Amino acid sequence: MSETVQRDEESVVDDALVEVTNLKTYYGEGGLLSDNPVKAVDDVSFGIRRGETLGLVGESGCGKTTLGRTLVQLERATAGSVSFDGTDVTELSGDDLKNWRRNAQMVFQDPESSLNDRMTVGEIVREPLDVHDWNSSRERRQRVRELLETVGLREEHYYRYPHQFSGGQRQRVGIARALALEPEFVVLDEPVSALDVSVQAKILNLLEDLQDEFGLTYLFIAHDLSVVRHICDRVAVMYLGNVMEVGDGEELFDDPANPYTHSLLSAIPTPDPTSQRDRITLRGTPPSPRDPPTGCPFSTRCPAKIRPEAHADIDDDLWERIEVLREILRERNRADRSLTERARELLGMDTRFSDIDEILQEVFQTPAGTDAGTGTEGTTESGDPLAGVPSTVSEPIERAAEHVRSGEEGRAREVLREEFGSECDTEMPAHHEVSESDRTSLCHRHKFEHDEPSAFFERTVFDG
Amino acid sequence: MSETVSDEDAPLRQRIADNPRPAIRWILGALVLVAVEFGAFLGLVFRLLSTIGGLFPDNPGVALFSRLEESSEVIPTLLSRSLIPNDGFYNGQQWVDTFLGLEPAYAWLLRVLLIYAYAFIWLGWLWVGYRTFRQHYRYADWTPRDDVVDRLRSHRWGQFGFVLVLIFLVMALFAPALGPTTAEANLRQPYSHYTEFYDEETDEVRNVTVGTANLGSASEGNPDSNVGPWSYDDFGRFHPFGTLTTGKDMFTFLAAGARISLMIGIVSMVGAGLIATGFALLTAYYKGLADLAVVIASDSIQALPVLLVLILASATFSGTWLAELYNGAVMLIAIFVLIQWPFLWRAVRGPAFQIAEEEWIDAAKSFGQKPRTIMRKHMLPYVIGYLLIYTSLTLGGIIIAVAGLSYLGLGITPPTPEWGRAISSGQPYVATASWHISLIPGILITLIVIGFNALGDGIRDAIDPQSGSGSGTAQESKADEAAAGGGGA
Ligand code: SF4
Repeated sequence: MSETVQRDEESVVDDALVEVTNLKTYYGEGGLLSDNPVKAVDDVSFGIRRGETLGLVGESGCGKTTLGRTLVQLERATAGSVSFDGTDVTELSGDDLKNWRRNAQMVFQDPESSLNDRMTVGEIVREPLDVHDWNSSRERRQRVRELLETVGLREEHYYRYPHQFSGGQRQRVGIARALALEPEFVVLDEPVSALDVSVQAKILNLLEDLQDEFGLTYLFIAHDLSVVRHICDRVAVMYLGNVMEVGDGEELFDDPANPYTHSLLSAIPTPDPTSQRDRITLRGTPPSPRDPPTGCPFSTRCPAKIRPEAHADIDDDLWERIEVLREILRERNRADRSLTERARELLGMDTRFSDIDEILQEVFQTPAGTDAGTGTEGTTESGDPLAGVPSTVSEPIERAAEHVRSGEEGRAREVLREEFGSECDTEMPAHHEVSESDRTSLCHRHKFEHDEPSAFFERTVFDG
Repeated sequence: MSETVSDEDAPLRQRIADNPRPAIRWILGALVLVAVEFGAFLGLVFRLLSTIGGLFPDNPGVALFSRLEESSEVIPTLLSRSLIPNDGFYNGQQWVDTFLGLEPAYAWLLRVLLIYAYAFIWLGWLWVGYRTFRQHYRYADWTPRDDVVDRLRSHRWGQFGFVLVLIFLVMALFAPALGPTTAEANLRQPYSHYTEFYDEETDEVRNVTVGTANLGSASEGNPDSNVGPWSYDDFGRFHPFGTLTTGKDMFTFLAAGARISLMIGIVSMVGAGLIATGFALLTAYYKGLADLAVVIASDSIQALPVLLVLILASATFSGTWLAELYNGAVMLIAIFVLIQWPFLWRAVRGPAFQIAEEEWIDAAKSFGQKPRTIMRKHMLPYVIGYLLIYTSLTLGGIIIAVAGLSYLGLGITPPTPEWGRAISSGQPYVATASWHISLIPGILITLIVIGFNALGDGIRDAIDPQSGSGSGTAQESKADEAAAGGGGA
């Protein structure tokens, strides 16, 4: 597999401009009513080489924007370090921080929101220069005019207001503002996702031209893999606050290592109709970042999850149903129960949480092929929903159901995890190196005793 | 690059120097307008200085400034009572001492009309100034504010409110010149001023103190002793709004009272508005604990029954220096500021939080802008519009509350004129010939409240094109305001 040859790169830290080490950014700590903190970025490490574009991809809510904001110090890191050209910027404060800010700027996602409508375009682009007392005010105005031209606007736009511009033009103003202080590093937070498709390409081209002209280093945040593919040198895939896979872009697209990357890629419609690739549909929604899974972050949804030895031979359909059952129980735990609902429960009245027998009925009696969990036509003639299930499986499920009936759902989840869980549920995987170009992937399957994810998908995905 | 650019770099001063004619024309207009009222302006300035001086322990300069103020009255001004007098007497054949021998009613009316015309000319001058700037000196051919102005120009209801408010502001500002007589002569020191009148029985002109004349022209309910609106009393004095129960001229009383009421209303709203904006910006920017602290503070204040606090404070502080400051107005202002800021803060907190979420705030943070500047430059302009709306909506309530307090015998110390006292003194006569004593100030209060509300509506619609005339927040605030007003009165 991934034996793509990259010439002279030894390690990630090679000529890195930005190096992120064990970075954590949590929200909502220390509040008066503090729950668990939201672990938006949870132990992330990677490097960005001078002059390259690193793509950062993931679903919305995976923490990629928070990560970008932490890199430009709009967010304070909870732990870990961000070293920029050798200085740890998470340690900076006061004047040092202000001075450092010249080096790292950000282009924001929504051009409607990123420009103050009450200021002229000239004032907007000039503000960073004013803040840092850049030269004389005459030179500042001159520089703003040049910048406007650089980003493809005209200098007479200086006295116009943002209202008078289209989304693409407004984004150009935002780019001009980010470039005003001649930064080395620019975080581009989904810079084209709010724009018309026809304008997107123009802005992307502009960004590439600017990178060549000024030797910029980009962190390009996107939820759209296809955009990333043609602008980024390397790509990091993020899920639930973790970087699942990071490495050379081409390689990652052609031969993904991590199961999550696999499923993301399979969601892109391929231009080639004869492509063998099947869509991998992910079940459920990502877990709450307040309460991430103990083991692998992807373990609640991973289609390639490792099975325990004991159950290695049950068929895929049944295995899927067990996973659905576990997901439902987790979901119930997560859903907020209002006080009235708790009271109803105590009084033995109906709540919107249906009872365990119904769940079992739905999960295990719906005919294969229909979506488990949605079927209401479940056969009711057999009293036992677990009738057709081997006893090795039905016995622990019965035990768990018993716990649910007596109100101890926590115990029930535990029983299921002990029985059907594997190292994916219990142990955080390591970042395994998966190619010679130092691509790493966060997955237990890269350990020698397991099948590689790609081998697994080869084997299973096509049977549906 | 060359010419246009260096041109555009010029600061405003430079731009005016390059093309001075429109600006000069505009300034000349102002000079003419000031010249005709020069004495009054000077008087106002000295008055202000002596008032400020009076706030300090040993009254520095107070004597000097009051002397200067008096001497400035000598300078002839266009709209003064000495140039267009309406006090005179009827000598059997004709009016003596009035302007051009006109009947006092017409002389007075002429003066009032001139004063209002003068005020509206000033307004026109400001508008011309804005147009001049926009046409000759501004680079941007369009700014967001232009849209606001344009929308306001087509907002009839808002304009109606604006005109109403302006009428009352002019009334307060020109009170000494507007009344048929002066507050000093008619209200405060009636026994040291004299008035001439023509005694028909003896066929001679006699001189009595104003106080004596007032006694003879009181409105006390029965048709024999009543001086109604737009009528003359037995001493040939004209009363556009009739007289009070004490025989004092009600128009003079109300015009002087407008000063107090509007001043209390506006100053307390400005004070409360400043506190509210400050807190709104701070809490929206820093969130978290700062917000919580202010929420708790404002909740505890809002939990207090407004009327009770007012009564309590008036009673507690009565007789102390605080209650005497400016006839009690300062204390009222302080109380209103304290009570009103939480309402305003609540109203602008939402918008401030919304603005704090905008990405341009993050952008400003990302290049190291100071928090103070971020709040001022990137948040305040958006919050200030809402603040204007809410203050103008609440102002009516304060005026009602002040009137209500005077009605209860609290608040402004007599004999300082205050509208609420006029209403309360006329209350026994509502069903009699002297109905005007309560009714007219009541109507004025209603009008001023309507005026401020309409103006607030206009500003809201102008600032926010999306909001219809009855958006939810405005309704709420009206309800708030009504409650505040009701609580006060
Ligand atoms: S560690 Fe397990 S759950 Fe996580 S990605 Fe790999 S196979 Fe899937």
